[in-house]
Amino acid sequence: MARLIVANRRGHQVVEWDPTVDTRESRAAIEEAERIIRDARRRGCAVSRKVGDTHVLDDRPFDPHVEEYQILAPIAGG
Amino acid sequence: MFDWLRRFLLLDEAAGRRGGAALELPWMHRWHHVPKRSAGPDFRREDYRRARENAREVARATLGERLWTRVQLQGYLDVPSRRFPGLTYRLRIGRRIEVRCAPGVESPWPFAYLCINPTYPLPEEEFFAQLYLYVRDREDEVIRVAAPQPWDQMLGRTF
Repeated sequence: MARLIVANRRGHQVVEWDPTVDTRESRAAIEEAERIIRDARRRGCAVSRKVGDTHVLDDRPFDPHVEEYQILAPIAGG
Repeated sequence: MFDWLRRFLLLDEAAGRRGGAALELPWMHRWHHVPKRSAGPDFRREDYRRARENAREVARATLGERLWTRVQLQGYLDVPSRRFPGLTYRLRIGRRIEVRCAPGVESPWPFAYLCINPTYPLPEEEFFAQLYLYVRDREDEVIRVAAPQPWDQMLGRTF
């Protein structure tokens, strides 16, 4: 399973999908994840992807085969 | 119309997979009214407990086992600057970044602490992991937004 972690005040919530199966649910989850990432980036959030056992910030287009994405809050001083 | 209905039903299924909770996308909301060190007036003690538990899990996954163990043991993570040789950012959970300079190195800031907050409320361990990624992978953004401060303090937008 692949997943998108949405970090929020609840700790986090996830959108999960299986990129190896072509079902209505999986396609919908992939669409949802791609839309969320696109909107979040547009509003100043950063996105990370899992590489090995850690995350790195990532500017590349959404790839449903990535094991794990995470959305990071925009940062501000003060 | 049918496309909208189909999308609505599938999103509803997705909410079901998340245990019934609607997905909260914090960048879609305004948070200026929420007091410092708070998640909002609708949060109860149990919500805070659960949020911090979730946050710990995702912070650990974000940093990886090696870094997570290190921060648990020593209470901070040091990230060497790529922009300013001899300067190190010391990250501590829920607190301002401490700027540390090697002997003979002058800091580009007038004060030793940098205040950087998330733009919406987050549990402090979760933001700590996020801030680590920003400092390591996007230092220029950190330099751009950092507010230098003369004293150490808890962050206002985490809890």
